[in-house]
Amino acid sequence: MAISRLTILAASCAALAGFASAGTLYLPAYPAAVLVFDEAKAQIVDRIPLETGTPMSIRLSPDHKKIYVTTIDHNGIEVIDVATRKVINHFVLNTPTKQYRFFQGTPDPEGKLFYAVTKEITKFPEHYEVAKPKYTVIDLAQQKIVKTIDIPKEEEAQNQGDYGVGWIEISPDGKYLYQFGEKITILQASDFKVLDHIDLAQPDAPGMENVHFGSDLDLINSPGEHTGMFVWSDPIVHNRVFGLARFDLTTKQIDFKPIGPAPSGMAGIEVTPDKKWAYTVVSNGIHGNKRCEFWAFDLTSDRITQKAEVPCRTRFTLGISTDGKKLYIYGAGFDIEVYDAATLKYEKTWDLNNDVTYAGIVVIP
Amino acid sequence: MKHMRALNKKAARIEDYVASRTEDVVAMQDRPSSQQRPHVPMGCALMFTPGWEVDAAGGTAGLCQPVERDIYDCFVSCYWPAQVPDHLNNAPDWAAKCASATKDWRNLDLVFP
Repeated sequence: MAISRLTILAASCAALAGFASAGTLYLPAYPAAVLVFDEAKAQIVDRIPLETGTPMSIRLSPDHKKIYVTTIDHNGIEVIDVATRKVINHFVLNTPTKQYRFFQGTPDPEGKLFYAVTKEITKFPEHYEVAKPKYTVIDLAQQKIVKTIDIPKEEEAQNQGDYGVGWIEISPDGKYLYQFGEKITILQASDFKVLDHIDLAQPDAPGMENVHFGSDLDLINSPGEHTGMFVWSDPIVHNRVFGLARFDLTTKQIDFKPIGPAPSGMAGIEVTPDKKWAYTVVSNGIHGNKRCEFWAFDLTSDRITQKAEVPCRTRFTLGISTDGKKLYIYGAGFDIEVYDAATLKYEKTWDLNNDVTYAGIVVIP
Repeated sequence: MKHMRALNKKAARIEDYVASRTEDVVAMQDRPSSQQRPHVPMGCALMFTPGWEVDAAGGTAGLCQPVERDIYDCFVSCYWPAQVPDHLNNAPDWAAKCASATKDWRNLDLVFP
């Protein structure tokens, strides 16, 4: 992994700020930028302006050298070089008569193609026609869509466009795509032919965001693996259990580690880099009766070790620092609330002075 | 089973009902199912869900606090075009000079219908 490591000087700064080893957060922000936030300095150290509009999704390349951002204004893609923090490629898909919408996507291991699910809207003199979502291949060098494939009927449930599209990953050799939803669909990357399914259960979380088989656990992902939370229920009494699952992108094997009964609402799960501790925010009730709690899990003994009430934002995302010692609550606003992971107590609020979008964040140690 | 046809009115109504559950056009007030949901083209059609003033339960506890925190997520993708300007078609630069809606809302552009 060619990740920029902090120097001794930076490490000492981190220690002063309360972080044993701090990293960098890349936060998509309004109106059209990616903020670079230094955990040690607790401030924005750079701002990467985007050319094509407001960022709506962000993801790190498997080699951690590039960041891919999709934007909504004209449905663009921008590629950021992590080392220089510059946009090295950008383009839009829209034409005067056609608009596209992105729903999930992943670059191929070589960074030449971008596999996505898109919806095409065609403008006619007196009306628009909205097509069904399609599997789409975008050539990043040619800066255009080179192939679209109809989604089979049995795959429509996890490709519903505005109502949700399953997270997509690609195998290290670039031959297979995996889509995570109520099941894992294994697709042939060259033509999106469905090769196989692995059945799963879909977690339900009313009013909460980012509950899925994991985009949030990049910190503990090993190359060629995809690690995330998912909910599983047995076929007899449908007892729902949540846990961590590691999916091998090469062998297609799942290693499922159950943790406990699944609460009705969970704001994702975050795991420390040493894989010993996990944290989630559990919500109960709605609107005025909504109450949220941090839950801390000891993954070595699979036990809940601590709970603490936390103020509920209406919409928020849970994050974790690169050293696993701080928990972040952010989204729908301009700040990040920082909590101590050991005590689950509120510590401080970092004011970004800039609203961030709900595209998620990229954390680089 | 395509060779089977409805012979009386009741059977025809059942046939119509089954067809209505599978066709692309569905009533907006219908409860969305996991298989078929109404789609809102580009998000810029009218949206009758509650806006700033009340949440889905008629109260305010489900709203962002303060409400300015929610401005951009309603503006972007044209989610609430009646309450905030239309981001995708008519007012894409409405928030171009305003990085933080809660702090800088005075910098939001003026939009005249």
